[in-house]
Amino acid sequence: MKALQLVKYGEIKDSLSFNEVNKPAVQANDVLIEVKAAAINPIDKSIILGYLHSMIPVSFPSTMAYDVSGIVVEKGDEVSDFEIGDLVYSRVPQEQMGTLAEFVAVSSAAVSKKPGNISFEEAASIPLVGLTALQSLEYAGIKANDKVLIHAGSGGVGSFAIQYAKAKGAYVYTTTSTANVQWVKELGADRVIDYKTEDYKAIVNDADIVFDTLGQNYALEAFEVIKQGGKVVSVVGPLDEESAHMFGMADYKLPEDLAKACSAKAAAYKFIFMHPNGAQLAEIKSMIEDENIKPVIDKVYPFSESIEAIEHLATGRAKGKIVMKMS
Amino acid sequence: MEELIDKIKRSIALSPEAEEHLISISRKKVVPKGENLIRQGQAVNKIYFVTDGCLRSYCTDKNGKEHTLQFAIRNWWISDYIALHDKELATLTIESIKESTVIEFKAKELNETHKRFPEFDTFQKHLLERHVVSLYKRILNQLQLTAPERYDLFIEQYSDIEKYTRNYHIASFLGITQESLSRIRVEKSKK
Repeated sequence: MKALQLVKYGEIKDSLSFNEVNKPAVQANDVLIEVKAAAINPIDKSIILGYLHSMIPVSFPSTMAYDVSGIVVEKGDEVSDFEIGDLVYSRVPQEQMGTLAEFVAVSSAAVSKKPGNISFEEAASIPLVGLTALQSLEYAGIKANDKVLIHAGSGGVGSFAIQYAKAKGAYVYTTTSTANVQWVKELGADRVIDYKTEDYKAIVNDADIVFDTLGQNYALEAFEVIKQGGKVVSVVGPLDEESAHMFGMADYKLPEDLAKACSAKAAAYKFIFMHPNGAQLAEIKSMIEDENIKPVIDKVYPFSESIEAIEHLATGRAKGKIVMKMS
Repeated sequence: MEELIDKIKRSIALSPEAEEHLISISRKKVVPKGENLIRQGQAVNKIYFVTDGCLRSYCTDKNGKEHTLQFAIRNWWISDYIALHDKELATLTIESIKESTVIEFKAKELNETHKRFPEFDTFQKHLLERHVVSLYKRILNQLQLTAPERYDLFIEQYSDIEKYTRNYHIASFLGITQESLSRIRVEKSKK
């Protein structure tokens, strides 16, 4: 089968190659998915450039990407939740990375039936950003009437998180640039802050939850707008101590300024490391079928143009997700 | 099974032997919500009569989107007749959208019933005509009625179906988007 593989770390077009490889073998708990669509995320770019080699080491060659939708064509002996012919979607586990291929084998625990009211391309755009947003906001205990600040509302995670938070009944503030204000408003955000003309710190106060998808100083600044006892969750900021210990960094301590900010507001800080979860994808399936959440797609490329698609992703200018369609 | 026997007796005079035969080739089955009776791409050899609940037949297009062909509530028959007639694999999936009870027949056995009991020809002719009428009406409604009119008819036909269907089931049955369905409902609630 054909697969887009990373052959070395480095510049995007120099490091990727379309190779002919064996169809993946199916283990007892796996399903083999015939890929109809696959989506890419900023993490794919970071892997190619070698930024994550210490956290997520990959061997060469490795087939790229995590998000997939398609049809179950084979299943392991112990799989009971899925049948051949089921239409499914998944964010595949790290050890099964490789959705930019004609087939991918995936642990059935990471798979859900796809939403019935959207296309394969739309379904493939959902898993990684959906699970990231759901796990972050669920950790923060989101509930009706919470004031939630979501940074970068036009990003993949941000655009999903706005819709998820609204579905939970929260009041949503989000930040974005002037060009994106209108369509981000249409996702349901109550107050869209144009960061080019407005200072979000002068607008948001006493937030119950701040969801940082930007990194840099945004995690620390969150404590200026969070209420006493609030929660700051980040998918790009510094690790918290519990997460660091999970990665084997036994002596890790939260940066001093962040620790002080937490303590001053009696607030919690948590780094969310998204994990694949089929049951949560099934929950997202229901929300999509009820139109509480709509996929946001920037562009669909044919599989043969995957390298151009990843270069487009790397510009950081995409509004929503970039998806590859298999022919 | 009594519902089905009563229904048949309204069309034809059913002898005790014929009634016994029908019972002998049928099987009552409870179908939990979400379970499929027929799956797209698989062989089809059964026909179902619904005595309780609601099932939906739908096809999935090449882009992965579902299109609802039929809802079957109490006293309706459902199967993939394209697959049965043309001896092809199923084009449709039939799923239970709330816990349902069906009477299951092997299509071959049901179709051969008339050999032993010729009166079944009349019953099967009625059944087929009713099915054709229902399909004609559905096509004509689709061609000439506005979306709100189609929605009204749908609700009239399936009175409390909205309690257990998802919006996209209804929208895809009516051939409209979920947004249009929401708009129609909002307009109706204002009246």
